Amino acid sequence: MNTAIDSIGQLRETTTVPEAAIRISGLVKDYGRVRAVAGIDLEVRRGEVFGFLGPNGAGKTTTIRCLLDLLRPTAGRIEVLGLDPRRDGAAMRARLAYVPGELRLPERGTVDQLIASIGRVRGGFDRGRRDELAERLDVDLGRRLRELSSGNRRKVALLLAFLADVELLVLDEPTNGLDPLMQHEFLALVREARARGTTVFLSSHVLSEVQRAADRVAVLRAGQLVALGAVDAFRGRARQRVEAWFAGEPPAAELDGLPGLESRTLDGRRFSALVCGPIQPLLEVLGRHPVVSLVVEEPDLEETFLDLYAGTP
Amino acid sequence: MSAVDRRLELVAGPFRASWRAALGWSIAFVLMIVGTVAFWPAFRGSDVLQQGLGQMPAALLQAFGLEDFTSPAGYLKGGLYDVVIPLMFAAAGVMFASSATAGEEDAGRLELWLAQPVTRSAVLAGRIVAVLGWLGVVALVTLVSQLVSDAAFGLEIADARIVATVGLCTLLGGLYAAVAVAVAGLVGRPGLVLSTGLGLALVGYLVAALFPLSDVLAPWALISPWDWALGGEPLSEPTEPVRYVALAASTVALLAVGVVAFARRDVRSA
Repeated sequence: MNTAIDSIGQLRETTTVPEAAIRISGLVKDYGRVRAVAGIDLEVRRGEVFGFLGPNGAGKTTTIRCLLDLLRPTAGRIEVLGLDPRRDGAAMRARLAYVPGELRLPERGTVDQLIASIGRVRGGFDRGRRDELAERLDVDLGRRLRELSSGNRRKVALLLAFLADVELLVLDEPTNGLDPLMQHEFLALVREARARGTTVFLSSHVLSEVQRAADRVAVLRAGQLVALGAVDAFRGRARQRVEAWFAGEPPAAELDGLPGLESRTLDGRRFSALVCGPIQPLLEVLGRHPVVSLVVEEPDLEETFLDLYAGTP
Repeated sequence: MSAVDRRLELVAGPFRASWRAALGWSIAFVLMIVGTVAFWPAFRGSDVLQQGLGQMPAALLQAFGLEDFTSPAGYLKGGLYDVVIPLMFAAAGVMFASSATAGEEDAGRLELWLAQPVTRSAVLAGRIVAVLGWLGVVALVTLVSQLVSDAAFGLEIADARIVATVGLCTLLGGLYAAVAVAVAGLVGRPGLVLSTGLGLALVGYLVAALFPLSDVLAPWALISPWDWALGGEPLSEPTEPVRYVALAASTVALLAVGVVAFARRDVRSA
């Protein structure tokens, strides 16, 4: 087991960061009788890309809306860029940009008019940068807002976020509804932001997306942190679903003897399994036999982190 | 870019968003006023009508403001300013306020603005100014169409009486808009905002119309803002300044409730 992923109890003692962009301690948020966030402690360092992973309903959006001061925590303390969101909300939001998970834009006007309007509220945008981002994200500035598809609305929100000259980007499931090409462009923009020293807080329910962008990752489940560590530490830990089609009879005995495979299924020439741990032994077996097709994919987050989740309710 | 631009944008955005509603209301007011005043020449000094009305119970005539339907002030009161126009102002105020606040929040569209470097109070204040601005525009349209129709159809009444009456109706609309803002600040649910605002407007009308018919209840008619606005017969008598003050002060107080409550609660998500 990699030591970078410690239990949360140990983590608190070891990661006291002086320069925190976000510091959350003991955050609890109840909606009536439902506890959406059940005591989160977290520090995001300045200048890092921090992945905030969790399945839908884990409490990611609730945590983020508390950061923005859209929600008021039931208990706990939050500090963003050294400021209290409740007391210094406007000053704090001047230094960050936010892409909401559930994005609604005004019904009237064009993309360009919306950007101009937000620009006036934010104290002005760089037109050259606006045009550059519009080209990279393939946003038509003249389009009417109500005609935008959900993917295009997301691109507009990303454009607005990356257009603002800020110290912190808070992105809630930013690639939902984006095609792969745009996801690639998004990751490039995140890397550029990081290179400029911007801190990026990136929530997602897809591990691979976070793996490609983040330095560190926190995994949330049912309102609690179940893991936190460097992104590399998660790589060996995550399960992968492998599906292989053999040209001839599959080597059943060899596949059976492989360690670290779960949910093995042999169905005619098709073999599938969940790989937990190193994938090398399986690849060696596959390499010795004629394989027609091979698919390696990420299962959903619950399956990916089955062992992390096993101990939590 | 300055703080002034920022504040202006928080007003201009929601103001622009409501122009269709404002146009609709303006047309409704113009049609209502012109349509009513156009029949004045037919009712002026009508003996038949006067006799007909004379046979109706006095209390009923009073409740519907029809005591004196053949004089200019009585005709305008009975036809427009006892029920229809103040009710339209109240409905317009509630609807403008609801859609600019709770309606936008419920649709998840407020979040975009609340994530900017402005306080919640500033966002809501901008919307309040936009709502009051549109009410003012509708009031101006109402005033002008009333004055023009009066002249066109020979309805003789002092301009000052019309200005005061339209002004009082506008303040009444502003007050119910403020009720809507207060509820929106507390809960942010458009259904509740609309039903509370419109419901209270209706209750206010009923209290002002029916309480005076009962000896026991008559003194209590003054709990209704309708009584503050129109209880002084503004079409025939000069209006006491206290009526304007009462309407404006309660509007300001309700708006303050909305702004303070909104700054303290969770913002609903889409």
